[in-house]
Amino acid sequence: MRANLFNSRFNSAMTVLAVIVIALALWFGLGWILVDADWTVISTLGGRMIIGQYNIEAACPGQNCFWRPQAGLLLVTLVLGMAWQVAGGGVTKRIALAVAGVAAAFAFLPYAFSQMGLDVRLLLLANLPALAVGWSLARYTKLGTASWTAILSVTAFVLTLVLLRGIPGVPFLQPVSVIFWGGIMLNLMLAVAGIGLSFPIGIALALGRRSELQVLKLLCIVFIETFRGVPLITLLFMSQVLVPLAFPEDFPQNSLMRAAIVITLFSSAYMAENIRGGLQSLHPGQAEAARALGLPGWQTMLFISLPQAIRNVIPPIVGQFISLFKDTSLVYIIGMLDVVEISRAFIQGNPEFLANAKELFIFLALVFWVFTYGMSYVSRRVEQHLGVGER
Amino acid sequence: MPTLLRYLSYQGVPIWRNVYAIQWVSQIASGILVVVLVAWFFVNIGNAIQERDIPYGFGFLSREYQTPIGQHFLDYKSSDTFLYAFVVAATNTIVISIIGVALATALGIFVGVCRMSSNWIIAKAALVYIEFFRNVPLLVQLFFWFYIVLALPPVREGYVISQRFYINNAGISVPWPAVNDAGMAVTWLLTAAVAVVLGWAVHRRLTRRERNTGTPSNSLAWGIATAASIGAVAWLALSVAGDGSPFVISQPEPQGTFGRISGGFTAPGGMIALLIGLVTYTASFIAEIVRAGVQSVGRGQTEAARAVGLSALSTLRNITFPQALRVIVPPMISQYLNLTKNSSLAGAIGYSDLTNVAKTMTQTAPAVSIFIMIMAAYLAMSLTFSLIGNLYNRHIRFNAS
Repeated sequence: MRANLFNSRFNSAMTVLAVIVIALALWFGLGWILVDADWTVISTLGGRMIIGQYNIEAACPGQNCFWRPQAGLLLVTLVLGMAWQVAGGGVTKRIALAVAGVAAAFAFLPYAFSQMGLDVRLLLLANLPALAVGWSLARYTKLGTASWTAILSVTAFVLTLVLLRGIPGVPFLQPVSVIFWGGIMLNLMLAVAGIGLSFPIGIALALGRRSELQVLKLLCIVFIETFRGVPLITLLFMSQVLVPLAFPEDFPQNSLMRAAIVITLFSSAYMAENIRGGLQSLHPGQAEAARALGLPGWQTMLFISLPQAIRNVIPPIVGQFISLFKDTSLVYIIGMLDVVEISRAFIQGNPEFLANAKELFIFLALVFWVFTYGMSYVSRRVEQHLGVGER
Repeated sequence: MPTLLRYLSYQGVPIWRNVYAIQWVSQIASGILVVVLVAWFFVNIGNAIQERDIPYGFGFLSREYQTPIGQHFLDYKSSDTFLYAFVVAATNTIVISIIGVALATALGIFVGVCRMSSNWIIAKAALVYIEFFRNVPLLVQLFFWFYIVLALPPVREGYVISQRFYINNAGISVPWPAVNDAGMAVTWLLTAAVAVVLGWAVHRRLTRRERNTGTPSNSLAWGIATAASIGAVAWLALSVAGDGSPFVISQPEPQGTFGRISGGFTAPGGMIALLIGLVTYTASFIAEIVRAGVQSVGRGQTEAARAVGLSALSTLRNITFPQALRVIVPPMISQYLNLTKNSSLAGAIGYSDLTNVAKTMTQTAPAVSIFIMIMAAYLAMSLTFSLIGNLYNRHIRFNAS
């Protein structure tokens, strides 16, 4: 303690100053949080923060569509349960338990039954059995392999999309227009799709940029630098104004799809540069040795260069994932009501809550922080697991 | 047939198995594919323009914009042209970026140094700052600051500090230099520019002398003194020769029944929230860059400097930092670019930056042309930043010789 805090006169003064500042901040901060702050704005907004306007009458006329996002969540916990068993505990287990636990805990929120019905609560509680079912599936059937889990997680994502979008003609799955999708659900779906797709596209672009094929290289450079040079918000906005013109009128597309594509491409351009950095950090001897052993070029890349390159740049890659997740809040520019925009619109539409806007945005900051901090936590665990910096 | 095969093969390898042939054919094919795709887009856009009677071209640039721009650093009125409005909006973005970059660098270096402090409390406080601010979307932070500013008391009940600084929900008003006489102001600014160049020359010359001969000289102090004295003399001369000084300090003052503040400089709420948000957010990234850079300097360097008897501060300033700069500068440039691009979120909190104005313009002007202009403007800004940064980088990196 002495060596750290009071080893010199200057340091002692700094310690005392810092303690005073922190104590004051805590005193006023806690006082504000516990006494002055009015957190009812969060409970008033309630479920709209999670699913946006998905459940309103205009989105789903004559039906209660609340079960569809929830069924999607059940699929996710199911796959998480499988992943837990396949990975054999560790960080996957903690994530699975946290997701199912938080979902189940939501069932006990002190809303009246008129605001949050029994069906909603039961479906939330069902996340715990879903986790158990996933775990048992992986344990007692032949689905308990990494490849099956990967296939099933992609399937679960697609199924969730289909559930949310609906199928025309099916009585319980009437189509819901994407303009009603919103809340943190929208942020998470955009992030998952973006992360899943921008990684392979980024690798392809990075390889293209390092390729000796001049035309390919030029195309990749132009693509990467264009997307890196312009703010995402400008690209998103133009994707709504310009892209519809660039396709024939009967071309199937919607605003959410365009936004997802733009976010993915934007992120892949940054991803490509990260991966290129990783490839550059490799000693050329690695690839040369692989070629000398007789591996063809593509195998050298796939089994020797890329794994090492990606291992070296896990922190910037995860940083890019985090920044992609944060960037999903920019879809406000195209009129999608994600969790941030629906909060802002709520404040604007209800001026009596104007003074409580800061509580709402502090809460949002915490929600985002939990997700992003979770991502960097996982990245650190993965790095430890792979022994980065030890070999 | 065999003759044909002979023509189609090179050193006994048929052409469809020749690596170079395959590569070139696939490249040309992919190139053609991209060109066709882009052409298809443009044909579609062209068709859409014709069918739906969408305006196109750049003729609109000389038309009057006829829309107010909330905050502007250049003089602007609604009867100005689209082109000029675009320039005004771009200036807004550039001004915010430059102020933001300067403040974010200062705060970022401060937090980065705190993060490396041997003092446990200070290091942890810096860590909490970094982990929180960089993990929360900038948009959420901007809204938070914006609503804090909005929650300030209205103009007439606002805070007033010594009748000079006014803080209220319209913004912050501060005293600001105002041009007294345009001719004199320009003359003085030109002289000041010359003075800065001369001061820089003195600084360089003294530094070189110190390096070559070892004669100690306060090169920085002399340089600043040169520039300041020339500027001051010019100021006095102009004040004596003309009618009053070239610039006067304009004080903000409440006017009329609503207490609207005129005079001085008023930074509107949106701009303040934007600056606070951008600076605190970017500083958290810069702090990590600074830390990585300083930690990349070998421990032996610091130990040797301390062994020679340099103080901790002197070690940081003269030994560690110059070496760390080589690692710090490239990622720092990309953070500056990020800040510039992030300033496009300004529209969400009512500050008229380039993207926001361009978005409004698309309602009355062709979107395609605006898109091209906006791309060009951001690319130009990025390239200028990169260029300056790379020149500086070349200046500080290890020389090959």
